[in-house]
Amino acid sequence: MSPQLTLQTPLQIPPSEIPSYLKQLWSKGPIGNKGANTFCLLIWQPAWLEQELVRTGRIKGPITGTQPQSLIDAARQVILDKDLPHSTPPLDPKITACLKQCQGDISQQDLRGQHIDTSISTLKPRRLITLAPTLRTGQPLETLVAAYCPLSEDSDKSACGDVVVLRGGQNSIDNGLQILPTLLPKDLPSWLWWNGNLDEAQNLFEELATPNRRLIIDTSLGEPANCLSLLDKKVVGDQAINDLNWLRLRSWRESLAEVFDPPHRRESLNTITSLDIDVEGDHPVQGLLLAAWIASRLSWEVMETSLDSGELLKATFKRPDGGIVSLRLIALPVGNPSIHPGQIVGMRMICELEQVKHSALCVILGSKTSECMRLEAGGMASMELIEEMVSNQIDSVEMDVARLLESSRGTTSPLLAAAAPIASKLYSTSHV
Amino acid sequence: MPTTNPLRIGLRQERVIAPQCLVIFGASGDLTHRKLVPALFELFLQRRLPSEFALLGCARRQWSDETFRQKMAEALGSKVQENSSSWELFVKGLFYEPVDLQQQEDVLRLAKRLEEIDYLRSTHGNRTFYLSVSPKFYGNGCKALSSAGLLNDPKRSRVVIEKPFGRDYSSAQSLNQLVQSCGQESQIFRIDHYLGKETVQNILVLRFANTIFEPIWNRNFISSIQITAAETVGVEERAGYYETSGALRDMVQNHLTQMLAITAMEPPGHFDPEAIRNEKAKVLQAARLADEAEPWNCCIRGQYTKGGAKKFPLLGYQDESGVTPGSTTETYVAMKLFVENWRWQGVPFYLRTGKRLPKRLSEVVLTFREAPVHLFDSTVGQPSSNQLILRIQPDEGAKFRFEVKAPGSGMKSRPVEMEFSYDQSFGEPSDEGYVRLLADAMLGDPTLFTRSDEVEAAWRIYTPLLELIEDQPWKLPIYPYESRTWGPAASDELLAKDKLLWRRP
Repeated sequence: MSPQLTLQTPLQIPPSEIPSYLKQLWSKGPIGNKGANTFCLLIWQPAWLEQELVRTGRIKGPITGTQPQSLIDAARQVILDKDLPHSTPPLDPKITACLKQCQGDISQQDLRGQHIDTSISTLKPRRLITLAPTLRTGQPLETLVAAYCPLSEDSDKSACGDVVVLRGGQNSIDNGLQILPTLLPKDLPSWLWWNGNLDEAQNLFEELATPNRRLIIDTSLGEPANCLSLLDKKVVGDQAINDLNWLRLRSWRESLAEVFDPPHRRESLNTITSLDIDVEGDHPVQGLLLAAWIASRLSWEVMETSLDSGELLKATFKRPDGGIVSLRLIALPVGNPSIHPGQIVGMRMICELEQVKHSALCVILGSKTSECMRLEAGGMASMELIEEMVSNQIDSVEMDVARLLESSRGTTSPLLAAAAPIASKLYSTSHV
Repeated sequence: MPTTNPLRIGLRQERVIAPQCLVIFGASGDLTHRKLVPALFELFLQRRLPSEFALLGCARRQWSDETFRQKMAEALGSKVQENSSSWELFVKGLFYEPVDLQQQEDVLRLAKRLEEIDYLRSTHGNRTFYLSVSPKFYGNGCKALSSAGLLNDPKRSRVVIEKPFGRDYSSAQSLNQLVQSCGQESQIFRIDHYLGKETVQNILVLRFANTIFEPIWNRNFISSIQITAAETVGVEERAGYYETSGALRDMVQNHLTQMLAITAMEPPGHFDPEAIRNEKAKVLQAARLADEAEPWNCCIRGQYTKGGAKKFPLLGYQDESGVTPGSTTETYVAMKLFVENWRWQGVPFYLRTGKRLPKRLSEVVLTFREAPVHLFDSTVGQPSSNQLILRIQPDEGAKFRFEVKAPGSGMKSRPVEMEFSYDQSFGEPSDEGYVRLLADAMLGDPTLFTRSDEVEAAWRIYTPLLELIEDQPWKLPIYPYESRTWGPAASDELLAKDKLLWRRP
């Protein structure tokens, strides 16, 4: 479905007048209702890559903040044109940095914040506030306001909302943040979706991520150490945090759980001796989260970690029965990587009892788009072999965000809360 | 061996129930402590209830909140002891208010109590009213709630009604009119706990998520369908109710007919409550008794007599406490129907249900047409037809029977079975039907609830039988059958006329 535009043409009004305008809009406004009683979503939407691609004329506008195929294709073309390694993910900041050096001054309409994806609008958010920093750092703050109604089949007038866009250079946005408290009704849950790299604007992130706010981040975007430390910090601080990188692991978690659903295989979970995880490129976070989830579910204890050449990480765990599990996280350079850095391409789990080798079980899960020959090699001929393909997550980021908005209970998923500290420990102790 | 798969825990993406107060009328009754509160506690243990949740029990008894909480804890017994800390949290949301729905001042007091609970538990005025009361109070109960303004907001208030919904076509119509005058159809949730069973829902998935079944799911490939719901128990303590209903009203009009609808419906355009209910209603509107003019040709009624082992003798229905002497209430029904539409024209649907049968089971059996030419002899005589058996309960799953080459030098065929078992594949018991249905009602999802036109269409199918039983009962005699046998011989003859046999599970 195509994204929806707002019901009204956005009005540009001074920041100080926005609260009174919105109050007036919902008291006796043109659409005659009091607005949805749902939630507010605050979005950090820098879209640096899209802005640079538009500026240099590599894609046409308007700027929307979404990731259509044309944007991905243009980014891949930059990788080729600028002789970047072919394994560079298309949303990597290196591409943006390359484009910064290029000539171009094409300006296009900027519709960030006014382009509401259907998956989000059908949840009837009460207010969407988009922070849209521009490339020109000195650009003054523009504030836009509009009402909108979801266009779903069962839409009704009682569930309309509004959008507010704060657009301008980074400094002017920072200055404009003072109106935020007045724009976020206290009686509604509010969310912050950090739709950007976790390495940038960290002060702003902390300012927006107030303790009562539910957070949506993507730990595949940013330095692994930053991403894991932030995730761990928020989990420990008991703040509701949702990670899109974790969400994209769901088909791997589900596929692995399915292998052990039949009761006769359950015992094998107590005899796991090795776990190999292959990830795309050198971003280890998703692989670590998968290993950490398994470790937390099976009560394994981290024993030691190390870094070897060719491996992102090596670790050993102690099982509750004292047995040892070895973990290897391998970086696989791929030529046409997905837009999500560090996506898992395969995993192998071996379960064996020391004394009865012939009863061993080998589970190999492979991504549908990658081969897993490396995992298939290595003396498993005498084992019971289970091989499954795992579907790639091809949902748009907006759909994933909508899924989180819809399913969250206002707290961090207990599974993520249990896995995040283990993932963080694995990474930090191996990178001392 | 671990009892649950540790990697499975927490993976199900369940929908989130909005803050709300569930109000159960008839809270001192059997259903509340046997099914409803255990189902709610299960939802709580699965973290599917919001923290802003309250359960308000209502009945005429003068209980306090504390008494209600204590009674429910006693009823749940070991489940509370095993999860004592969770129960401590759950029980804080349990309240009780003595209410007689016939008394206006009681209903007004209820409205006030609900406001207090809204404040106390932040339930935002969202309410689900569950009428677990005698069917004769459904109409007045809805009226009382409506008059007190408790059903004014169609988005925030719902009413759940238990079976039986009416006694026949005309009473169901009147009740529908009455209930619909109190609120919108979208607010009415008519519960049929069979639809809460995973295996019944699985029929939809099996049919519409696989490409191999739907092309052969029709008159060209299927020769007959049997739907069975067998119970081993007798009437037990329910004689008072059962005497007024019998097997036809208690089981066939609702549970078996719903299974028929799901088995025979056309694929909906999309998975949407109204799209599914439209298709179910359409198929029920096309269903007819095989012989409406002379229903005794297509329907057999029976009543169990004494039986059982010498050591454990079983009473006959007539000897059960609470049964009227000389009662002609049927405890067994078997019948033949047709669904007169393009897909099913000419395919007989055989339905049977009974008490005190040898096994407790529910299943749907689809028998496929025979191969046009028998090229191979069978080791067992005639080659058997392919059968797809959908086991609703117990031993939930599905089984497909087909012919393979018998080992040896000849070319004989023999039947084998390919089986899927919920237990062996998933290893965990599925939730009790009420867990699913209560959650759906609170979510406002009516997919698994019957709509007014479905209920009326279901009653209409059996109107010729009900009229006959009312006006000329001798034309539809009650055949006795010994307890723990598969019903009267006349039931076997019903199929023998079509050269068929009931499947002996």
